Amino acid sequence: MIKLEGVSKIFKGDVVALKNATAEIQRGEFVFLVGPSGSGKSTFIRLLNREEVADEGRIMVAGKDLGSLSSWKVPYLRRNIGYIFQDYKLLPKKTVYENVAFGLEVIGRPRQVIRQQVPAILELVGLARKAERLPDELSGGEKQRVSIARAFVNRPMILLADEPTGNLDPGTSVGIMRLLDRINRSGTTVVMATHDRGVVDTMRRRVIELDRGVITRDESRGVYE
Amino acid sequence: MLYRLWYYVRETLVSLWRNLSLTLAAILTVAISLSLVGASLLIREGAARATAQFQEGVEFIVFMVADASPEQDAAIRNVLDSSPAVSGYTYVDKAAAYEEFQRLFADKPELIESVTPAVMPPSYRIVPANPDAGNVAEMARQFGEQPGVKEVATATEAIRQIEDFSTRVSQALLVAAVVLVGVSTLLILNTVFTAIGARRQEIEVMKLVGATNWFIRIPFMLEGTIHGLAGAALAIPALFVVDSQVLAYFQESDAVPLFRGFAVPDGFVWDTSIWLLVIGGLVGMIGSAMAVTRFTDV
Repeated sequence: MIKLEGVSKIFKGDVVALKNATAEIQRGEFVFLVGPSGSGKSTFIRLLNREEVADEGRIMVAGKDLGSLSSWKVPYLRRNIGYIFQDYKLLPKKTVYENVAFGLEVIGRPRQVIRQQVPAILELVGLARKAERLPDELSGGEKQRVSIARAFVNRPMILLADEPTGNLDPGTSVGIMRLLDRINRSGTTVVMATHDRGVVDTMRRRVIELDRGVITRDESRGVYE
Repeated sequence: MLYRLWYYVRETLVSLWRNLSLTLAAILTVAISLSLVGASLLIREGAARATAQFQEGVEFIVFMVADASPEQDAAIRNVLDSSPAVSGYTYVDKAAAYEEFQRLFADKPELIESVTPAVMPPSYRIVPANPDAGNVAEMARQFGEQPGVKEVATATEAIRQIEDFSTRVSQALLVAAVVLVGVSTLLILNTVFTAIGARRQEIEVMKLVGATNWFIRIPFMLEGTIHGLAGAALAIPALFVVDSQVLAYFQESDAVPLFRGFAVPDGFVWDTSIWLLVIGGLVGMIGSAMAVTRFTDV
């Protein structure tokens, strides 16, 4: 599903974000990316989504070689990849329903599909009753659920999450992780960058550790440290 | 498909509304600049019509009587061909004269109905070797005495003044218009840029969920195109005001009789209007295209 071969990414001023990284992630895996700030976790994720392009090496995602993927094809790649952020990135003037529907609307899905899928996904994330609320009226955990609903409503093969519990208290984080686990069990590959020791140690899934852009550890059923 | 169309329309209208003050500024600038473009074109056309017979160095015209004999005609032609004082001439026969008459008085059908090709005088439009006024007057006098010649019309100082005046005015207007069209394009670029800025968050999400660049850009480009078209739509009435007030004033004034030809048919005003819409639409599209390609790339 995801394959990195000798991937390096160097930013301006010789900042090495990723150095000769090699890893393979199978369909249906759940992978934690751990490491201190600036270790290259976010770059790892942004490379998979082709927000960044690798300077060296080869990246395959969903059967596509990202290095040779022409830019007009990038949106179609991203339709296979859901993306969840620490700061949710919800649109403040749209309701919960509209925020989720937006994800389908802008990739040109027909209205009847939207009418069918949005309530179903809101049910899945447990927000069916808050469909008409605005983001400001929700708690942090609820906002993250909306963001997950928007990322997953199109049933992507891959879900990328950059610190999804970073702004949440431990109790709320557990709920979010249960939801991601459930999504993962439906066959979706999940790659999650995190600082959250508790989450990683509880879940006991594959852990890839990064330090200054280098992969220093790759364990199936690992812990934070 | 219909849903997508509705999406574009909705997003465009919302954006126009949110950005109202800049939108109005852009539309008005387009309107003013296109009014000037239009006025310049009308004045140019009016002047060309008023002086149509005296273009390209023609200094005087020898009108033959409508029923001039072939011998009389040949005599004139002979002089024109052999005289070193004549550097060139064109012959306008009855049919061509009638055609030109129809064109010049397209606005006055009753005038056209009153004549037929048969009564139109054929004429020679003559370019003298020496355009000096005294010389032209002397040549005109000589041709006027020839048998079969009805009258000789010379390009008077007035005609030259009209040409000169209208060229200057229309060129000045055109320069101002070109500058303003440039300003309009920049203003539309800025307005669309502001609209993009106001929706930066939405655009970011759209890109991440896999909306295509065109899907993101189309509402913004529609917005710019609407600025351009709305501006042009406002400039069109201004064009008719120029036609009915300014050009008509010249036409009716007795001060300079030649100005009476300073008329532009409604058809030309409509054609110009269509051009204004085309220019307006293009200005809007180009301005917004510049904004979206610069600010919405993946």
